Amino acid sequence: MTTPELALAPIGEEHSPVATLPHDARGGISNPVLGMLLFIVSEIMFFSGLFAAYFNVRALAIEWPPADIEGFGINPIIVVATGCLVTSSFFAQTAVRAIRRGDRTTFLRAISITLGLGISFLALEFTDWTILYSEGITMGSGVFGTTYFTMTGFHFAHVVGGVVMLSVVLYRGMLGQFSASHHDMVEATDLYWHFVDIVWVVLVITLYLLPGR
Amino acid sequence: MATTTLHPPIAQPYRRSALYEWITTTDHKKIGILYFINSFVFFFIGGLLALGVRAELAQPGLQFVNEDLYNQFFTIHASAMLFLFIIPIGAAFGNYVVPLMVGAPDMAFPRINALSFWMLPAAGILMMGGFLAVGGAAAEGWTSYPPLAGPAYSGTGTDLWLMAVTLIGTSSILTAINFLVTIFKMRAPGLTLFRLPIMVWTQIVTSVLTLLATPVLASALIMQFIDRNYGGNYFDPGNGGSVVLWQNVFWFYSHPAVYIMILPFMGIISEVLPVFSRKPLFGYRAFVFATVAIGALGFSVWAHHMFTTGQVFLPFFALFTFLIAVPTGVKMFNWIATLWRGQLVLKTPLLFAIGFLTMFLIGGLNGAFAAAVPVDFAIHDTYYVVAHLHYVLFGGSVFGVMAGIYYWFPKMTGRMLDETVGKIHWLLMFIGFNLAFFPQHQLGLVGMPRRIADYAADAGWGDLNLVSTVGAFLIAASTLPFLWNIFASLRAGEVAGDDPWEGNTLEWATSSPPPPYNFDHLPEIHSTRPVFDLRHGADAGSTH
Amino acid sequence: MHPLKHPRNAMFVGIVFIAVGIVFWAWPTIAGGYFEPAGLTLLVLLGVAMSVMAYVLVAGSPRD
Repeated sequence: MTTPELALAPIGEEHSPVATLPHDARGGISNPVLGMLLFIVSEIMFFSGLFAAYFNVRALAIEWPPADIEGFGINPIIVVATGCLVTSSFFAQTAVRAIRRGDRTTFLRAISITLGLGISFLALEFTDWTILYSEGITMGSGVFGTTYFTMTGFHFAHVVGGVVMLSVVLYRGMLGQFSASHHDMVEATDLYWHFVDIVWVVLVITLYLLPGR
Repeated sequence: MATTTLHPPIAQPYRRSALYEWITTTDHKKIGILYFINSFVFFFIGGLLALGVRAELAQPGLQFVNEDLYNQFFTIHASAMLFLFIIPIGAAFGNYVVPLMVGAPDMAFPRINALSFWMLPAAGILMMGGFLAVGGAAAEGWTSYPPLAGPAYSGTGTDLWLMAVTLIGTSSILTAINFLVTIFKMRAPGLTLFRLPIMVWTQIVTSVLTLLATPVLASALIMQFIDRNYGGNYFDPGNGGSVVLWQNVFWFYSHPAVYIMILPFMGIISEVLPVFSRKPLFGYRAFVFATVAIGALGFSVWAHHMFTTGQVFLPFFALFTFLIAVPTGVKMFNWIATLWRGQLVLKTPLLFAIGFLTMFLIGGLNGAFAAAVPVDFAIHDTYYVVAHLHYVLFGGSVFGVMAGIYYWFPKMTGRMLDETVGKIHWLLMFIGFNLAFFPQHQLGLVGMPRRIADYAADAGWGDLNLVSTVGAFLIAASTLPFLWNIFASLRAGEVAGDDPWEGNTLEWATSSPPPPYNFDHLPEIHSTRPVFDLRHGADAGSTH
Repeated sequence: MHPLKHPRNAMFVGIVFIAVGIVFWAWPTIAGGYFEPAGLTLLVLLGVAMSVMAYVLVAGSPRD
């Protein structure tokens, strides 16, 4: 059950970040949305383990990237992929704002664009991996390769999960199952998609942009 | 106007077979019972493996198994006990009791609740399946350190173990989300956070620890799986990796995990002691803050399991480890103060609760010694640590489990467990437990290492090992009256009624067992003891 | 509203871990001794995750 009135905003100031999330009759965030937020919290910790391992082996290395890694660096594919994902987040938010006010047409269009951009991201990322493999940078290329492919690989898997969720949202949306007062799954998917986007930005900064040693 | 009384047919649930009901149930009470059954199956499997370990160690010489099989025994003993018994049984108690205690009709996500449960027998089969694999089950200890757990030295059993533990971790995380949403969103009117039973508070903190720490374990298990199967180099020093990295990431989860393994049972003790002392719990707010403090501090001490690696900043971890003694001490004193000058009802739940207090005290004290770095340098990886962990996990958690079973069995089944048989169970278990584990302090101090299948005849360790083995078999024997009690009481136990113990909390305000929707009527809630208030009239109670 | 009910204050429990992380970095760096980057990463990200969790639990609770 979702109620947009501010009178039933959750505990906290009216302009709190959670004020616009769906609420139920007693004024809390709706159960499925709260559940998704907590799931996202657990996923932050999952990626923490992978990042911790990355920083540990990076500190152990004499130089980073290691001397035997050639041809690695920020490249147009990664830049375009990042652009796709960041843009898709804007469209996801557009979709959510649309369905909150009951505008199904905008909602469906925006979700379709989000989905398209997400799939484009996956294709671009996969292409980048193929190029790296052809250059001899693989999962087994020392810890550099292992950490790179594990971290981007698990991010890829999370994007796939997000793409599945967006597809279900699009399908159910086309069947007319969402309205201004009933669209918990859209909110939950949107939150998850933003999370996946933020993780990618942090990954790009960590793996490509941090100064080497 | 003529009127007719209508008698519409009463809607009946579509009757299905009992097996179908149990397999497809989403009712938190049935799921809780399924958790109990699964947990006890693995308690017995883990227990048999322990008997195998103790039988081999009773005397010098390899009498029963070779070293490789012995390693599988202690690895799967620990893994089954930790991942398939003690953590899930905390969830079992939570599943059954928490929705009742907060006055909710079920958990927030009943279908995910069912999924969480069914992942566990599947994981158990995977883990035990290692025994049938080429090379046998995982044999590197439940801590799975590389390089021993790496691709060069271990086989399929370890891969199965990694998959099983990842599955269990996922189940736990989903359950944690379920508990947190249920407790924060679905409380009955009037039940503020500071009126929640301590049992529920401990489930909150346990769920927070599970939510935040278990994913880190998942990342570690996946890294090890990648090293073993996809040419990864995380823990391979020859290719830029580090074995101590595994230890850091593993223990970042596994230290909070030990609080996941004790807090639900501290919650049970906090429910049993007031009821059987006929007094309110002493220092409710202190309990809440101490529980939160233990959970928080528990995240800052992981490397005290790694003091001897040479790659740990010792003062930081020693300091934080000592600090955990403070909130734990607060709880111990408050429990004792609850008992003090109470009108003790010496029934089995209270006996197990007092057993918890005394045994957990010993486990906490020997742990505090281990927190001192110089002491740890001497006793790390010896039987002193084995004594410590069993005093807190068995003397603490398992005694807490038993207290909870004897306390809530009437609510779950409508029947009382037999008191005399219960007391026999308690006495045998208490004596057996201390015989099994107290000598291990001395064995550790004279230098007996962990995880060895055999020892020299002239080491002088034979006598204490024999005593310890006798104790282990006595523990095993004590489970027989326990099992007999359960089955006999289910058939012919004394009928319990709604509130056989004169309890304080909401679960006693409904029938035993409760109806599917839990409550016909909820009492008004104005304090931490709503059923006490209901029984004595709100003005008679002195609770806030 | 009582301070313990304000979601922004709930985030304090996560900020504590970022502080612990800073101590974890600063103490060996200043006094000399081993510094573990994995530990700092885990503690800081734990602080972030815990802040988010505490905020949504308190902010998402019913008003009564």
